[in-house]
Amino acid sequence: MIQFQQVTKRYPGGFDAIKQLSFEIQDGELVFLAGHSGAGKSTLLKLIAGIERPTAGSVLVNNQNLARMRRASLPYVRRHIGLIFQDHKILFDRSVYDNVRLPLDIIGFGHQEGHRRVLAALDKVGLSGKDKLNPVSLSGGEQQRLCIARAVVHRPSILLADEPTANLDRDYAQDILQLFKSFHQVGVTLVISAHDENLMADYGRRILRLKHGQFTA
Amino acid sequence: MKHWIRLNLIALSRTLGAMARAPLTSLLNLLVIGIAAAFPLGFYLLIASAQSVTAHLPVEPQLSVYLRTSVGTPEVEALKQKLKADPRLLNSRFVSKEEALKQMQAGLGGTDLLAGLTDNPLPDAFVLTARTDVPAEQLEALKSELSTQSAVEQVQLDSAWAHRLQQLIAAGIALLQVVVVLLAVALVLITGNAIRLQIVIRRDEIEVAKLIGATDAFIRRPFVYFAALQGILGGLLACGIVAGARSWLNPSVLALAQSYGQPFSLARPDWLLAAITLAVTTVLCLVGALIAVSRHLRQFR
Ligand SMILES: Nc1ncnc2c1ncn2[C@@H]1O[C@H](COP(=O)(O)OP(=O)(O)O)[C@@H](O)[C@H]1O
Ligand SMILES: [Mg+2]
Repeated sequence: MIQFQQVTKRYPGGFDAIKQLSFEIQDGELVFLAGHSGAGKSTLLKLIAGIERPTAGSVLVNNQNLARMRRASLPYVRRHIGLIFQDHKILFDRSVYDNVRLPLDIIGFGHQEGHRRVLAALDKVGLSGKDKLNPVSLSGGEQQRLCIARAVVHRPSILLADEPTANLDRDYAQDILQLFKSFHQVGVTLVISAHDENLMADYGRRILRLKHGQFTA
Repeated sequence: MKHWIRLNLIALSRTLGAMARAPLTSLLNLLVIGIAAAFPLGFYLLIASAQSVTAHLPVEPQLSVYLRTSVGTPEVEALKQKLKADPRLLNSRFVSKEEALKQMQAGLGGTDLLAGLTDNPLPDAFVLTARTDVPAEQLEALKSELSTQSAVEQVQLDSAWAHRLQQLIAAGIALLQVVVVLLAVALVLITGNAIRLQIVIRRDEIEVAKLIGATDAFIRRPFVYFAALQGILGGLLACGIVAGARSWLNPSVLALAQSYGQPFSLARPDWLLAAITLAVTTVLCLVGALIAVSRHLRQFR
């Protein structure tokens, strides 16, 4: 469960990106996060992952308060979370395979088990056979799939996707959302942000609408 | 425990991967470390070789005082007493001309030197050993003082070169200490800089890894491994450089030493010394890496 209680995030410089926000996301829920650019979507996701820490209030993830957690404990929280970054953060100095392998190396998976999981994740997102390629040679949509494979390879219980459908045409975006739905079906908690609400409307899920760091109706 | 080993194996493979991706940089860095470590090692061996020479040489300066053949026993006795009382001398030994002849014959393998001669042509002599703390000017003064004695034909001051060599070695050791300290600092800085560059090159990887749950230890490990590996290989290279330089130089040194009748040979780096060199370079590289890592990994959240 993800729980925000009166959370404010003030960036250095004094700008409040999130203002006294409170909400809950249940285990296994699929929630969309809508709002224009600059509304605070990325900041909210980073607060859940413990990448940013709240200025005030508490952020609870699986009943652990990230606001009070020691810095050294944060890595272990992040291992239960899969992150899909708005700017992808793909490493272009290594193969598709090695990109997906990184989370498993961090956790310390054995060679065999890790290998199996990487291939399974690549297969799941439709990139099987492309494991030896350099990510540069992938299309925009394929790069997005690579990010998804890297986020799910260690089978996290929470998946946070920051604008995963940006810059994709509508059909491709539908494919990607379909993929997320399949993770939802196996019980993963999902938070997906987008600045374009049209896509989400079809799914009939809860939509959190952000504007200037606060919820709108 | 198994998990910990696995994490370290992963770090090692990541380190080797990083080295393989930049082989030239890794190799150049290794060369720099090897050459830097070869200097104090070679210098140390040179000093050790010189020390082994002085070990079987008399350190005290000697004077040989040759007497006129016309000198009578009372005069010799008087001189003997005078020399015994001299505070600058450690001891004095009278070598009669008969004894000198015997020594000489023994030295030449028992040839009869007197064949064809009616008389022993060698003079009686005193061999004096001066105290080591007597400065060179005073030895010169002693020499001219003795030369003026009526009984004395000639005084020969055996140059105190063994003593001088020892002083040279002492100076060499002091210089070696300076060189060791300077190159130790250099090694720490070289490795620190190499690690800093690697952190810059791999900043994307570090950033992503931290974002998806890497501990500080996970980030640090490959750099520490890298430094340790460079230290070990650099130390080995230093031993190789020194051993190679020695076998290149030793024949000419041997020839030179033989022409002076000295059994001088350059020392060879032994296993213990090689192990110490490896340990020292590794520790220094690790220190450099740890400093760089703790300084430059702070920027990542
Ligand atoms: N690291 C930062 N430092 C200062 N201001 C930031 C930082 N990150 C985001 N902001 C500001 O916070 C606001 C919300 O940003 P963000 O969460 O990225 O919005 P969104 O993802 O909805 O576009 C923006 O005005 C942005 O300029
Ligand atoms: Mg954003």
